[in-house]
Parts: sequence; structure tokens; C-alpha cells
Amino acid sequence: MAVDPKMRFLVVDDFSTMRRIVRNLLKELGFTNVDEAEDGAIALQKLQNGGFEFVVTDWNMPNMDGLTLLQSIRATPALKHLPVLMITAEAKKENIIAAAQSGASGYIVKPFTSGTLSEKLNKIFEKMAQV
Amino acid sequence: MTTTNDSTDLEALFDSIASDYTPVAPAPIVSAKPPAPAAASVGDDSDDLQALFDSVAAESQAIKVETQAVQNGLGDTSAESWPQQETVFNRIGQMARSLHDTLGLLGYDKMLEKTVSALPDAKDRLAYIANLTEQAACRVLNATDVAVPLVDDIENGAKNLGARWDKVFANQMGADEFKQLATETRAFLNSELPQKTKATHAQLTEIMMAQDFQDLTGQVIKKVVSLAQDLESGLMSVLLEVVPETKRTEEVTSLMNGPVVSAEGRTDVVVNQEQVDDLLDSLGF
Repeated sequence: MAVDPKMRFLVVDDFSTMRRIVRNLLKELGFTNVDEAEDGAIALQKLQNGGFEFVVTDWNMPNMDGLTLLQSIRATPALKHLPVLMITAEAKKENIIAAAQSGASGYIVKPFTSGTLSEKLNKIFEKMAQV
Repeated sequence: MTTTNDSTDLEALFDSIASDYTPVAPAPIVSAKPPAPAAASVGDDSDDLQALFDSVAAESQAIKVETQAVQNGLGDTSAESWPQQETVFNRIGQMARSLHDTLGLLGYDKMLEKTVSALPDAKDRLAYIANLTEQAACRVLNATDVAVPLVDDIENGAKNLGARWDKVFANQMGADEFKQLATETRAFLNSELPQKTKATHAQLTEIMMAQDFQDLTGQVIKKVVSLAQDLESGLMSVLLEVVPETKRTEEVTSLMNGPVVSAEGRTDVVVNQEQVDDLLDSLGF
């Protein structure tokens, strides 16, 4: 299916290394329009300014964690349609269930491969096309 | 007062709290005392601890003297007006005494003291690890940033020449154009390609060398792990002495635990992406 390569991503992680890796992987997949935020609070601010079409977020971050960010996005009418992919080291089943129930579009557990990221993105794009 | 053995002084302190302490408005007297001079300079060696113990013991003696003075002035009536406080202070004194005795008896006091003094060192070691691993990650990412465009150039150059050679084989190219292609191909093979693979190779070496942190952090991690084990077993023994049976099984539940370090024997965690996907599928997500 055709996905706009200009789609604007927001990558949220408190570690710059991980933001850089995700940004590079997205670039490999053809998405070069990527912005970064180092925690949920900054991310929410950027999202509220508008222009983003996809959120990739970590869970465990200072100020505002990824689950709270996800819940805030889903509770905000202007943002609630945004796909949110979680990439996190949190691997407890209750984490995955909590994320799914809060409306996460996908859940990737670290460490992950570029293949996994590509697969999850495509799955989310397919679902978006169906709606 | 001796300075070589704190236990005699502590004996005196605990004795004074547990039995000799008389309940004449004790709180104001205690709080009015200036802080023990050694407390401000408590370091991480046993000399400082010794000094602290000594000063506390000295303080308790002073309190005893003051208390007696006040008591003489007020007479016995005050004791009757604070019967509950007396019980509380006696009880606290006995508990402190019992903990002190238990720790001393089991040898934990020395062990805990040693472990606590090693903690600042462990903090430095962990900071060192965080620092080295971050540097390594940056070096690798920088190297890939340099290498990726080089490889892309090689790929694009080869594709370009390949497409033009296809035209040759399809008899779609004139003599002049062919001459040009041959020259460019020769230049590509003789200079551009070796130059770019060499530069890529240098970045691969850089990535390899960035892994040298593993050796250094490995050694430091081993030291911190052994410290953590000592601390854990020491604290665990103390807890088993002190914490009631019913409290022991309570588990801390949280959604922010970081990576699962050891999944062995655990059913509440997933160990790979397939398990994440299976779980979500099974829930209908």
C-alpha cells in the first residue's frame, strides 16, 4: 500500500542513543521527516502544536512516562486518532495489556530488530488504511 | 571515656536510655542539645563512626546530669504526670538495645559498616560504566552516519554503470558513448570504488574498536555485582531478623521495572517479540 514518505514522526525516548537508532531505522524505511522528544511532557507539547502523524514512544521516562503520554493522546480529541507505537524494555504481561487497553497501536519489546519495526509499522499502516 | 572501643560507650548510652532515663519533660531537653559535633563530619571510615558514637555517648551522659538536676528541682510529681512517655522511652531504648545487640552478635555491624562505606565507590563505578557505554554508542552511531552514505554512493554508482552496460549489450549505444562509458567504468573501478570501500572499512574498524568498553565495564560490573551481593545478603539477614513473617511475602508491583534481567522461572514476563504478539492476539488486539 502507498504510505506517504513525508509522514511526520515523533520519536520519544529519554536516551538520545535510542532516539538516534529509531530515527536511523525510520530513515532506512524511507521516512525522513522525524522529530524527537526526550520525555512524554515535551512530546505532548510538540504534538499539541500539531503536524505529527505518527508517534513512537518509550515507556519509562522522567516527567511523563509513555503510558501516560498514550493516555493523554487518547484523551485529547485533536490527537486521539494518532497511531502510537510503543518501543520499550518493559516486558511484563501486565505492561503489554495495560498498553493495549490504553489504545496503543503496537508494542515492541527491546531489544528489537529493524525487521520488527518495519513489520509493526506496516501492520499499523494497513489498519489505518482500513478505517 | 575510651576512644578505642565504642561498645562500652554504647552500653552506657543504651543503659541510660533504657533504665536510668527519668521522664522529666525529656523531649525539650534532648532537642535543645546542639547536634553532636561529629555528626556534621561523618565520613565513610570507622574513625568517624567511632567519633560519632563517642559524642552520642557523651551527650547521653550530659543529658543524664541535666535530667537529674531538673528532677531534683521539680521533685517526684513530674514523674507521675508522664507515665506514658516513660513507657515509650523505655520501650524504644529496649528495642534499640536489642537491635544493637543482635547486629553486634551476628557480626552485621562491622559488615554493614564496610558495605555502606563501599557504596559511594560503587556509585562512581556505575557512573563510569554509563559514561563508557554512552561513548561507545555515540562512536558507533557516528561511524554508521559516515559509512552509510559511502555505501549508498557505491551502490548508486554501480547501478548507474550497470544500466549503461545493459544498453551496450542491447546494442543501443553509439561508439562515442561507449568510449565514455569505458573511461568512467575504469575510473570507478580503479579509484572511486577502492577509495570508498577503504573509507567504509575504516568506519567498520572504528565500530569494532568502540567495543573496547566491554572489557573495562565487564571488570567494573563484576566488582559492583559482588558488592551488591554482599549488601543484599547482609540486609536480607537483618530483615529476616526484624521483619514479621506476614510482611515478607508482600511484593512491590509497578509498571516501570526496566528490562527483565532474568526471566527464568517467571510467568509474568515475555522474553521476545513473538510472545508480545501472541499475547496481544490472544486478547484480540
